[in-house]
Amino acid sequence: MTSTQTPQFAGPTSGEDGDRQQRRVGFSQKLGRWDVKLSPYLYISPFFILFLVVGLFPLLYTAFVSIHDWDLIKGQGDSVGLKNYDWVLHSETFWKSVRNTFSIFLLSSVPQIIIALVLAAILDANLRAKTFWRMGVLVPYVVAPVAVSLIFGQLFADQSGTINQILTNLGLPTIGWHADVLPSHIAIASMVNFRWTGYNTLILLAAMQAIPRDLYEAAIIDGATRVRQFFSITIPMLRPTMIFVIITSTIGGLQIFDEPRLFDQDGRGGADGQYLTVTNYIYQLGWTNRNFGRASAVAWILFLIILVIALINLMITRRIASDQSAGEKKRKKVRA
Amino acid sequence: MRKTTRKFLAVTAGVASIALLASACSSDSNSSDDPSSSASSSESAASTEKITLKVATFNEFGYKDLYKEYMSLHPNITIVDDKAAKSDDARAAVQTAIGADTVKDDIIAADSDWMPELLETPDYFLDLASDTVKDRWPAWKSALSTTADGKLIGYGTDAGPEAICYRKDLFEKAGLASDRESVAKAIGTSWDDYFALGEKFMSKKTGAAWFDSIGALSQGMVNQLDAPFENPETDEITALDADSQIKPVYDLLTSDKVLAQSAHLQQWTPDWNAAFAKDAFATQLCPPWMTQIITGNAPDQKNWDVADVMPGGASNWGGSFLLVPAKGKNADAAKALADWLTDPVQTAKIFVQYGNFPSQTAATTDPSVTGKTDAYFGGAPTGQIFSNRFAPIEKQPYRGSHYFAINQALGDAYTRVDVTKSDSAADSWKKFETAVKDLG
Repeated sequence: MTSTQTPQFAGPTSGEDGDRQQRRVGFSQKLGRWDVKLSPYLYISPFFILFLVVGLFPLLYTAFVSIHDWDLIKGQGDSVGLKNYDWVLHSETFWKSVRNTFSIFLLSSVPQIIIALVLAAILDANLRAKTFWRMGVLVPYVVAPVAVSLIFGQLFADQSGTINQILTNLGLPTIGWHADVLPSHIAIASMVNFRWTGYNTLILLAAMQAIPRDLYEAAIIDGATRVRQFFSITIPMLRPTMIFVIITSTIGGLQIFDEPRLFDQDGRGGADGQYLTVTNYIYQLGWTNRNFGRASAVAWILFLIILVIALINLMITRRIASDQSAGEKKRKKVRA
Repeated sequence: MRKTTRKFLAVTAGVASIALLASACSSDSNSSDDPSSSASSSESAASTEKITLKVATFNEFGYKDLYKEYMSLHPNITIVDDKAAKSDDARAAVQTAIGADTVKDDIIAADSDWMPELLETPDYFLDLASDTVKDRWPAWKSALSTTADGKLIGYGTDAGPEAICYRKDLFEKAGLASDRESVAKAIGTSWDDYFALGEKFMSKKTGAAWFDSIGALSQGMVNQLDAPFENPETDEITALDADSQIKPVYDLLTSDKVLAQSAHLQQWTPDWNAAFAKDAFATQLCPPWMTQIITGNAPDQKNWDVADVMPGGASNWGGSFLLVPAKGKNADAAKALADWLTDPVQTAKIFVQYGNFPSQTAATTDPSVTGKTDAYFGGAPTGQIFSNRFAPIEKQPYRGSHYFAINQALGDAYTRVDVTKSDSAADSWKKFETAVKDLG
């Protein structure tokens, strides 16, 4: 976002400067012109240089590795064309990992954003000891993922776990948190939610505080209830922030690694791949099976999947943005 | 004015006391180093320059006190402990270092399960052979770290001669004799005897299972085979062939008779850990390091004991090695340290203090080792028992380049049948076949 904006800023200023330039000539002036023209790019260049080194280069190198036989230790082997991609796309385990990734992503992101929204709305109200409550929701985010996995390991253990103990005491059948597909996804999603809900809450809360209060005052005068205010003012005004939160949690959700890896002692996504995610599959192919070629092919397919989803996100974003301006016009009309 | 002088005085006093302390410390360490350094100067006269050696370990190697001892013997050497949280992390770190051909640690500890992979890149490691270590280990142990053309790349640290740990109270409850000798006799020398006794135990309906997990038993049985997964000559995968050595083991362990004796636990899970304190199972394959795990998982359970027996013959489970990257800046100093750390004198000390059983032949008969008893296991003479279990070990199974991955896939196959019960034995084997074929 910033990268597209900065040159736009530089555009008009440098043009203006160019007009003056023709009147007064001199090296220092020339330097000054370059300064104005180039420095914005210079200022943003560290990011792009860094991106080239740690972003673009690995991306292209991974593509290079993916069309070779490549052993973790022995390194580069023969070039095999698209054989690795062919193998991956015909691998049952790969599609299982895609299913798991999307399932865990939906089970974590959807409830997470809804809960974050509700929590933010509550925190936005006039509470005593505001800062205490606001910092409180961030505490889980500070806890290290390894510690989180220890806590949830105790909760979700199949026989000795707290949740199954409670179920047994209530006379209910126990749940195979590590054995069955959906329960394992729910357990992992709850670890993700525990960690990220507070973070999203604070972002949404900040956006809520930026909503002009007079909108609410007008609504109160019109006799709108709290619930009506929430759905008719808060949520529409939050749209840009919501889009940000949704995009970041999509990217994070599709790359989920820590939680499923720490969910059991092996970190290989269950004996039958019940909770093997795509990133875990990459790790398994690369480090357990020592086949970097295939691991890189999966990495690239994941990259393309994320790209497609980001494009879909973008389309929805545009539609919502235009909806919003349409909504504003309507509102203006109503007010007038 | 008065305030400033006071402050000034306080500051000078503080500085002076720190200086005093510092000088006291340094003079102290100097005086204590002097005799030892003069003693060690005779054995390593050439090395007086300051050297820092980084040692990468995992779990517990028991080196803390030995590092101190070595550093006081060699004042110019500083040892830095680089301990990984999980052994899997340590394995990934070694492989990454080899892949990138960089040296991060001067000494690398490696589990015997990873040795086959490391033996594929012998050039990365220093040849550690020397006269002093020639007959330090039994042949089966040094074979694990020796390349086909005879280069020794690792010094053996500990070993895992397997015995059987059992619960006295559960044996009594089932009407079986519970003293060490009778249990050893009853369990017998073959797996058939072991499972026959298991059947007898289960028929008494004590509520406990006979053993913890078929995955654990499989590990014990694999250690008794010659070539469980791969052909020793060609390194080709044989696990799926008609004359597969592992298939009969799989079929036996996933038979209804054996599954009925299982506690259906998966090793290393929280459930498995918690089961040691409860009346969940009566017997457990027990290399020396397992005794530490049992003690840690069930500190208040007073009924565990060790029997001097192993069905199917004496065998080894686990044990590690110290390797030295050849390109390390101080490879020779690192080799000397690795040599010293795996010397029988040192490894005997580690066993007494931490319980890691030595792999050095001389250390296993050392009186301090054989004389060790374990109060937790009813005062069992664990040193003597494991020494008895160690002596008859003759071989280790062949472990090729696919061993680690196939072993993990096999573990998953057992878990699907034994723990999650999501597949029949035949279906689970089919999935295992797919996983193994994917390696090719």
